[in-house]
Amino acid sequence: MLKLDEILVTRNWVGKPVRRKEDIRLVKGEAAYVDDLNMDCYQAAILRSPYAHARISRIDLTKAGALKGVVAVLTGQEVARETKPISARAITRPATQYVMAADKVRYVGEPVAAVVAEDRYIAEDALDLIEVEYEPLKPVVTIEDALKPDAPLVFEEAGSNVLMHDKMQHGDIEQAYREADLTLKEKFKVHRYSSTPLEPWAIIANYERASDSFVVWSNDQQHGRSLTNVCNTLGIPIHKLRLIVPDIGGGFGIKLALWPYIVILSLLAKKVSKPVKWIQTRREHLLAGSHAPDANVEIELALKKDGRILGLRITDIQNDGSFVHTAGIYGLIKFATMVGCYGIKATRAELLSIVTNKAPTVQNRGVGKPTMIFALERMVDIAAKRLGLDPSEIRLRNFVKPDQMPHTTPSGEIYESGDYPECLRKALRLVGYEESKKKRDDGRKTGKYIGIGISSGVEPGTSNLGYYYTARGLPEYTGNAEGAIVGIDYDGNVNVILGSVDSGQGHATTTAQVVADMLGISPERVSTANTMDSLISPFLGHSGVYSNKFNDVDLGAVIMATKKVRDKMLKIASHMLGASVAELKLKDGKVCLAKNEEKSVSFREIASLAYKRILLLPEGVEPGLKEIAYYKNPIAKLPNREDFNIQLTHSNSVHVVVVEVDVETGTVNFLRYVIVHDCGNQINPGIVEGMVIGSTVHGIGASLLEEFVYNEEGQLLSTTFMDYLKPTAIGVPKFELGHMESACPYTLLGTKAVGEGGSLPSLAAIANAVEDALSPFGVKVTSLPITPEKVLRAVRETKEI
Amino acid sequence: MHRIKLKINGKGFEHEVDSRLLLIHYLREKARLTGTHVGCDTGNCGACTIIFNGKAVKSCMILAVQANGAELTTIEGIAQNGFHPIQESFMDKFAVQCGYCTPGMIMSAHALLLENPDPNETEIREAIEGNLCMCTGYQQIVEAISHAAKKIGRSEKK
Repeated sequence: MLKLDEILVTRNWVGKPVRRKEDIRLVKGEAAYVDDLNMDCYQAAILRSPYAHARISRIDLTKAGALKGVVAVLTGQEVARETKPISARAITRPATQYVMAADKVRYVGEPVAAVVAEDRYIAEDALDLIEVEYEPLKPVVTIEDALKPDAPLVFEEAGSNVLMHDKMQHGDIEQAYREADLTLKEKFKVHRYSSTPLEPWAIIANYERASDSFVVWSNDQQHGRSLTNVCNTLGIPIHKLRLIVPDIGGGFGIKLALWPYIVILSLLAKKVSKPVKWIQTRREHLLAGSHAPDANVEIELALKKDGRILGLRITDIQNDGSFVHTAGIYGLIKFATMVGCYGIKATRAELLSIVTNKAPTVQNRGVGKPTMIFALERMVDIAAKRLGLDPSEIRLRNFVKPDQMPHTTPSGEIYESGDYPECLRKALRLVGYEESKKKRDDGRKTGKYIGIGISSGVEPGTSNLGYYYTARGLPEYTGNAEGAIVGIDYDGNVNVILGSVDSGQGHATTTAQVVADMLGISPERVSTANTMDSLISPFLGHSGVYSNKFNDVDLGAVIMATKKVRDKMLKIASHMLGASVAELKLKDGKVCLAKNEEKSVSFREIASLAYKRILLLPEGVEPGLKEIAYYKNPIAKLPNREDFNIQLTHSNSVHVVVVEVDVETGTVNFLRYVIVHDCGNQINPGIVEGMVIGSTVHGIGASLLEEFVYNEEGQLLSTTFMDYLKPTAIGVPKFELGHMESACPYTLLGTKAVGEGGSLPSLAAIANAVEDALSPFGVKVTSLPITPEKVLRAVRETKEI
Repeated sequence: MHRIKLKINGKGFEHEVDSRLLLIHYLREKARLTGTHVGCDTGNCGACTIIFNGKAVKSCMILAVQANGAELTTIEGIAQNGFHPIQESFMDKFAVQCGYCTPGMIMSAHALLLENPDPNETEIREAIEGNLCMCTGYQQIVEAISHAAKKIGRSEKK
């Protein structure tokens, strides 16, 4: 691996809060999200099932098709004839589902027909004219419903509503239980929620009749995989579909699997003579976009009396709703870092993916790790209470110590660096732990219910993708990688084309910082394309913005491509200056002699040879100054159930929260919110800070406000932002941040994951604080969200939230 | 169909519109001003916030015909050349991530600072309560608005 000194020739930009290059367009309203593209389009609207589980006995689009302004219609039967079923990734039982329901609907909001019209108003009018007759079936809504022996089957061909069931054991769990002084067991329930990017899903599809091919514009977060999925489903070769991803208005994982709608739009586009646009409404997004699955987690700790945790066992049952493509993937991601920041030596995990008549699930920010950390960190607090230890003390006794790094967990995950005890101690110093405890205790005497909650968490990054398939044999994807093209323009400035896309992370800025320090220039001279185009961009099946992989493999590709360009420039400069490459250095946009800086050639002069005066190039050097590179994470192992690293970098953080619970209204108010995190070396601290705070606010929403509430018929009751409540500027605390930087030895710049971080420990930190605040009432928190109604009921009657 | 005449960012517009056309769709599709965004359709998210006769309003809650004779300012109009101090502050304070909420957020901040040039943190948070941001957790946005207020205050004193 290249060393930092071999990569960076200056240290002027990396690590500094450089102003974001993206923002000049964004603050002026000049961004180009899909819906902003200036094209003459027809507009599509989608008819969705009003039933959770029903057979479609008749569908008639005659009246809809006859409405003035309607130009095309599409039904599920036609889709089933024209396309292949949705491919599955993790489930092991057969389950056939098409991108539009043909004979049976499996969730409220599942597409059953689509209409294309001159504008969206007419298309929506036409939906009202579609006649569908349904034969309602008994819906399967909860995990408990799905597991009943006589439960109706969501997919008859599966023969069960359990589509994946995996068991894994690592380390000597029997010995752990033999040596334990006590075991503690608890069941936790985590609800359905979503990070709801503000820009909904958006697609424009155009069919070019002469070449029998498609051009699609979409805010797809994982275009590498989507391109394959769409083309396979449509049964066309990949070169027949050009996918373009312009600006994306937030993703958080929720835009990782919108590709079934690209299939629908492509089919619609083929029927008409103009591009067809579909912009998902917010109601569609909440009803039938993607949720994080609700889950039941049973967790058991085997402990010594002094608080040391010897063994950890979980049974994780996730309600994946009805979407075979992503069903089952949460369990394995939870499992990856199930021991959290602790040096637990033995684990057993039983993982189930349940299919129900709820909406699809997809990788929402944190992907199961918020649930896992919630269960584990709640359990650690329960153990502390039982053993009479301070919640901070039990954690310090169990954390992996800095001198044990790199630490390999029982299943083979490698925690590469970090000082977990100091991270906690720093957070306790920031919050003023002893004073906070005194304030809490004093408050109780005067009827103020203040609580302190601590939670730690590992934030993994860069998915080693093959792990999805541990239960299915040969993986379609393994490892993780990204591509990049770096070129020097004629005039000596730099342009970068990434294989990935940006959904708010500031990739153009961080890329420019790194390239600038690699070439000894200012980031002003580096421009990064903010559009991904499958015809031009150097993408792979892994490409996209997910699993915090940018700082690892995306920048890795940029670095390797920049190095190739730099090497070539040095070679040309060496020829021009009549000196050996070893005698040269880069400075201020020039290549000069290290010993005599006045003897130099500018990038512009070098580029002039490369692009124009090519006959002056040294022998054997190709014209042009543009290089492509692909970079893969160097430590990824092939999936192996005995020893596998599911994630390839590991950041860590501690949240310490002080809340006051109003027992008259049931509301939870933040008094303090302290975060100390360690994401390795930071490239742009201004961007990191925003990601840490933003993702923590996702956790606050999940803990206190947001919930997809279903009734027993499988109807979603929270389908707008009036009843699905998001955090606003009022009600979120002012965050106090502390940073640590333990460089990662396995990434080129020593960086690790940042982005999901805050959304992981926040759930447990808040729940622990609420339980502490309500300890005079003996209330235990085993579920989320902590709504005022649940608080009041717990205080007055049930003693349990 | 109805004929409407209005001023947007100081420029006159005249169109035949359907009575049910929402103002946000008029702005985006007829006037082709796409800086104003749609995020929720129910008046909750504030991505469509504009200034309507001096007040911040959500343009998805208004029909285009209701804007007949009105004077509107959209994100494209608050600084025709260069950047408004609020826009500068959003860049200085890392108040932008995906940028989708940003125009609406800036318009709400603009309306606040027109009425209250020296707001405290609570007043800023109250003023943008109707604007959802899914990326930032609001902290850097609040800092940016506070910074902008000071900047505008300083330049007016000069």
